[in-house]
Amino acid sequence: MHENTQGLRWLKATAYNVLAVGLGILAGLVVVAYAGGNVEVALSSLFLDPLSSSGGIQQIFILFVMFYSMGLGIGLALKAGLWNIGAQGQLLAGMVMVFVVYLYLAFLPWPVLYVAMILGAALGGLLWIAIPTILRVKFGANEIVVTILLNVVAVNFGFYMLAGPIKSPGTALGFPITTVLPARFQIPNIIGNVPITYAVPATIAIGVILYFLVERTPFRVKADTVGESPETARYAGISIPRVMTITMLTAGALAGLAGATYMMGYRYELDIGSFSTNYGLVAIIVALVGRKHMLGIGISAFFFAYIAYGAEAMALAVNVPTYVVFAMEGVMMIGILMSAYFERRGAI
Amino acid sequence: MTVPLSDIATAVLATTFQLSPFYLFAGMGEIVSEKSGVANMGLEGIMLMSLVLTFIVDYATGNPWIALLAAMAVAGAIGLVFAFFALRVRMDQIALGLAIYLFGLGFSFIVFNTAYPSGLFPNYVALPPIYSGWGTVPYFGTIFLQLDVMAYVSIALVVLTAIFLNRTSLGLRVRAVGENPKAADNMGVNVNKVRLFAILFGAVMFGVAGSYFAGNFVPGFQTNIIAGRGFIVLAMIYFANWKPYRALFAALSFNLVYALQNEYISIAGSTVASVSTLFNMLPYVFLLALIPVFGRKARAPKFLLKPYRKG
Repeated sequence: MHENTQGLRWLKATAYNVLAVGLGILAGLVVVAYAGGNVEVALSSLFLDPLSSSGGIQQIFILFVMFYSMGLGIGLALKAGLWNIGAQGQLLAGMVMVFVVYLYLAFLPWPVLYVAMILGAALGGLLWIAIPTILRVKFGANEIVVTILLNVVAVNFGFYMLAGPIKSPGTALGFPITTVLPARFQIPNIIGNVPITYAVPATIAIGVILYFLVERTPFRVKADTVGESPETARYAGISIPRVMTITMLTAGALAGLAGATYMMGYRYELDIGSFSTNYGLVAIIVALVGRKHMLGIGISAFFFAYIAYGAEAMALAVNVPTYVVFAMEGVMMIGILMSAYFERRGAI
Repeated sequence: MTVPLSDIATAVLATTFQLSPFYLFAGMGEIVSEKSGVANMGLEGIMLMSLVLTFIVDYATGNPWIALLAAMAVAGAIGLVFAFFALRVRMDQIALGLAIYLFGLGFSFIVFNTAYPSGLFPNYVALPPIYSGWGTVPYFGTIFLQLDVMAYVSIALVVLTAIFLNRTSLGLRVRAVGENPKAADNMGVNVNKVRLFAILFGAVMFGVAGSYFAGNFVPGFQTNIIAGRGFIVLAMIYFANWKPYRALFAALSFNLVYALQNEYISIAGSTVASVSTLFNMLPYVFLLALIPVFGRKARAPKFLLKPYRKG
């Protein structure tokens, strides 16, 4: 394939993806109209609200960091043919671990504890995905089923931790919430009051490093071979368990890191509200839309962060439940999968 | 105050048998669907939509049977959409399922909120117990006669699904297109038509499950009310190795563990309040623990998740 035709195909595929997103937005507006909201106000707040407030910019960038980090891991595992549906559970494990380390290793001096909290979150996600990884590699158990199960377990486990081991002693009526992380344990902004933290360049750096490690080395061929044809991989002498273990554990650690950025870079305290998010599932869409490409996932993560916040702002502006966001994301996802179909058929 | 052991056992068994049918309807639907080679991971989204419709129609008509039909209809309609994208467009089934789930999760709440913006809704009219005098029959009455008729239908469905898959020619075709669609096609089986049937059967059963949820789990709608129970069905049929009777066993034992910890927490009360959420994990941990035992032998239909293209 020539460079030019490839560029053209990419452009056309992008055009179809934009169309698919438009379809999702249209569906969202139909839902808004159905729920009795003002469509004009909805449309303008969907696109403009994210840019017009510093709170909007802050949320977009924190969502971007989380989607990118989790999406990278999901995309990596997908290259090896493994579905990590459990990023949500690994994310929760990461969030919980931030406070476990903060409270139980409090004797460490500040910079060491700070780093330990971040690494602890990564370790939490890694341990959480180690269960499906071991069951898959040692017992051949389906990783989709196990990661789904562990998402439910993670929520219950998080409730338990919040109710006791990491609960703030100071709350009235035993309300399950942690203490607020003091300023020196928060991830600082890069420039003064602009609410973009160091987590943003750090995550992009991880994405670029993974790009070079994964897309530009023989590892890519290994992972792709394991994913597409385990038989061939076996003949080629590629260790399938090794590739599976590396990709899965990396995915878990990255999702755990996303939990650290969410807690240390945005929420600063953990409560039940953080358990009922659906970021881990949206990250699967992010990875698929980014075509499992370590840099493509970044673009797709930013885009979904913008839409997710915009749709929430839209819902609030026209007094429609914010759950409309999920309905829109569902339609967008189907639209984006459609564009892959047209591409395959050579229609574009 | 001590509670007699016989009362505890009765309560545990009553809960087990009341909750299991939800998993059986959904499980049989997913087994037939997956046997044909199509995994529907959007089942929880379909359940949420049919659950919402059950409530709205039930509140409006006061008739749970009409509500059940409405739930089956909307589930079938979503099944048709799923089938179009899975069979014609040959979309990735996992991604498609998650999209349907997200859509159902969001839209079900919008529908309910639009119908009852105040958050106030009428009383839910449930199906009656199968024997109205169940209270007069000790133990047996509480465990079995208090159930509604759909609970008994769910047991019959398990038997019928087993017979259907193993003893009928359509059942044979369902298995054939999941195991080796090419060979089935060569023998004159219309692969996608059989898969369409299996997907629709599955979706309608998710609708029945959603409707059963309304009568036996919660009397009113909340966001994300099914809370992953639909996804658990995927795990159950995996442990059951896609066999209906084993799925019955999986559903009953899962709910037995659930009922035991539930009963324990309610008896022990405040003394275990701080660790009650750990007990809530038990049913899921129980399923996980079964994996090394049963998961090793589990063998999915060979062409599960793989779209078929003629020629």
